[in-house]
Amino acid sequence: MSLVALSELLGATVRDASGTVRGRVREIAVAPQDHPTRIAYLVVKTADGERMLPLDALKTAGASVRAASEMSAWLRYTPSDGVLLLKRDLLDQQIIDVHGRKVVRVNDVELECTPVNSHLMLDVVAVDVGARGAIRRLSKGVVPSFTLRALLQRIPPRVIPWQFVDLIETDPARRVKLKIAYEGLSKLHPADIADIVEDLPPAEREAVFETISEEVAAETLEELAPDVQKSIVESLDKDRAADIVEEMDPDAAADLLGELREEDSGEILKEMDPEERQEVTQLLEFPEHTAAGRMTTEFVAIAETGVADDAIEALKSFEGSREALATIYLTGPGQRLVGAVPLVKIAISSPATPLAAISEPYVACAPDTPESEVAALFDKYNLITLAVVDEHGRIAGIITADDVIAMLRHHH
Amino acid sequence: MKHFFRKGWRNRLALTLAVIGPGFITASVDNDAGGIATYSVAGAQFGYSLLWVMIPTTIALVMIQEMSSRMGAVTGKGLSDLIREEFGFRVTFFLMLALVVTNFGNIVAEFAGVASALELFKVSKYVVVPLAALFVWALVVHGTYNSVEKIFVAASLFYVAYVVSGVLAKPDWRAAALSTVTRPDSIGFRNYGYLSLVIGLVGTTIAPWMQFYLQASIVEKGVTIRQYKASRADVIVGCLFAAIVAWFIVVACAATLHSVGKFNIETGADAAMALRPLAGDYAFLLFAAGLFNASLFAASILPISTAYAVCEGLGLESGLDKRFDEAPAFYWLYTALIVLGAGVLLLPRFPLFRVMVLSQVVNGILLPFVLVFMLLLMNDRELMGEHVNSRWYNVVSWFTVAAMAALSIALLIAQARG
Repeated sequence: MSLVALSELLGATVRDASGTVRGRVREIAVAPQDHPTRIAYLVVKTADGERMLPLDALKTAGASVRAASEMSAWLRYTPSDGVLLLKRDLLDQQIIDVHGRKVVRVNDVELECTPVNSHLMLDVVAVDVGARGAIRRLSKGVVPSFTLRALLQRIPPRVIPWQFVDLIETDPARRVKLKIAYEGLSKLHPADIADIVEDLPPAEREAVFETISEEVAAETLEELAPDVQKSIVESLDKDRAADIVEEMDPDAAADLLGELREEDSGEILKEMDPEERQEVTQLLEFPEHTAAGRMTTEFVAIAETGVADDAIEALKSFEGSREALATIYLTGPGQRLVGAVPLVKIAISSPATPLAAISEPYVACAPDTPESEVAALFDKYNLITLAVVDEHGRIAGIITADDVIAMLRHHH
Repeated sequence: MKHFFRKGWRNRLALTLAVIGPGFITASVDNDAGGIATYSVAGAQFGYSLLWVMIPTTIALVMIQEMSSRMGAVTGKGLSDLIREEFGFRVTFFLMLALVVTNFGNIVAEFAGVASALELFKVSKYVVVPLAALFVWALVVHGTYNSVEKIFVAASLFYVAYVVSGVLAKPDWRAAALSTVTRPDSIGFRNYGYLSLVIGLVGTTIAPWMQFYLQASIVEKGVTIRQYKASRADVIVGCLFAAIVAWFIVVACAATLHSVGKFNIETGADAAMALRPLAGDYAFLLFAAGLFNASLFAASILPISTAYAVCEGLGLESGLDKRFDEAPAFYWLYTALIVLGAGVLLLPRFPLFRVMVLSQVVNGILLPFVLVFMLLLMNDRELMGEHVNSRWYNVVSWFTVAAMAALSIALLIAQARG
């Protein structure tokens, strides 16, 4: 078992069973449908066109390649969408390092040779993103290969194991054929995915958003800067965009739709679920830099006559963001806000405790309160959530601390 | 629908102003310390007779810049990224090495321009150069793209100073206009000084760093093909503005220095000084202030654009949103270009002239390569889709590239002969 670099193999001379040099290695192909890491064949440029040297006929691989069969047995190469060509699709391209949570450029690819019976098996094991691959490629053909190998031994490798690599394929049809699913990416925190997405060019951003789940996409979108959000949503088809926007916090969704062109946001709203659409359109009518423009309409409000257990039940069926759950609001006749219970108090009370008994004085503001005053209220009362009430004292929505932090950061 | 209440007139105004952006800035930086020196020398030595160069170089400039911004808008990637992806690591490495060498020379020239502009006002370079270096470093490290762009646009507009000083020089408008549009006399080309200035004028207008910088700015600004028309307008307006400024510098020097037989000047500062007794204190002041502005402006842009291009091409972490320990190569390169570029001016025995010549030679070698790579990329249908160059566009641009390459080679030969 030994490692060989893609850059060593590319351009290597190929001898067939007769020992005659037949050509040079031009490409190395993986067929992901058959095996996710195994090399399927080498593309050899011969005097008689490009041919595919199958792996079961491979005897040695390195600076020179030997085959166990005659050239006449190698089939002619025909390009196919369903194979991953290591030079074209991987070398020098950007990939996502899921483990390191960033976008990196591939300097070289490491392949593992395993002898099986009478031939060799080649598997992709890692991509090289460090100085070792860079120096190997710079000095190839200039420095003798054994000197180079000795020199490279001294350089600490910077490689990403293949299982942590996410390829970015912008063509959806090809993505399916290559079975690229961004599984690794979906496991990251949306804030980390957002950082990665910001480092990618637009087409690649779109590719990522087309393949991660709507929930993850929605949370990731909320973490992105408004202009990036805008360009991504504009590039997606309206159906998909609507699915993602539905999953967003209504206040974030409203902010985003407010940034879009009228026809785009109109189309997205049309595709949305009626209930979600209504919430978002209500929010859109408020000026952006006021309490109402910042609030979310997804919160928990219970009749003041309820007990702690009712609150627990309400929590179970709540679908909004977790930040909104810090406080349970109590309402009297006509949806008027009468009290607030911190979640902690409910957690430490017995199920039959009347909510009115553990209610605390609440802090609220009017819908047209300017942002700066909202921030001042959070600071003064050390709030986690703030209720927004209309002129009749009814609760219209709440503002959560994370929104205030985001708002303050944007002003600086 | 009511929800468009949120979108005010301010948004729309911002969108219109946004047109003046990367293209305008890039074209303006083009009139940097080296540019001003070349234009001044051209005017002083040959009067109005070199003005004909302006129209063809402006057309070439517009075409090349337009391709850069189109490529940025369509692919969303920088030029060095694309060269890396399409032409491999080794090519990119040597191209980036050359870019660092030539841009370093340019950076030294810009700081020298800053120093010489303020020396006209009797301020020592030992004070000016470190302060300028610190200013440049802090501006980029602490500014955001939008705030820096605003400062840059303001700096671009300051170039109007040259137009005013040109008017103050009371040129012969008719003669100047005529020589701009008439075909040049072929006898002139046999004169070595004349030929080398023609090459110098073209070379200072179209330089490799611009292609990298402009494309990167378009990408960073997030321009997509949808807003591309606005970006094209930005490029065209910027190039025209830059050409007008250059024209006025030549005219100012032609009307004053040339007409009294003061042919031998070497730098922009020389020109400003020589202008004083001929065109008055205001013309002198404007000329010197313009030189200061232009040099500082270019000194702010070159180091950062070099650091971005090199790190992106070589796949090293880059970006001002990263911390120092996350992107060490990026910050080291950026800082080294500024510190060394400014620092060498303070060394008494530094072979400044030789470094400049070397940098210009590398510049001349690099340019045809960059342009050829650009054209190959622009015609790659897989990359550009329907936005590849049209046929006539290709004919004109390949001709431009060939002419640029020929001029670069001619310049190299001229320099080799000394």
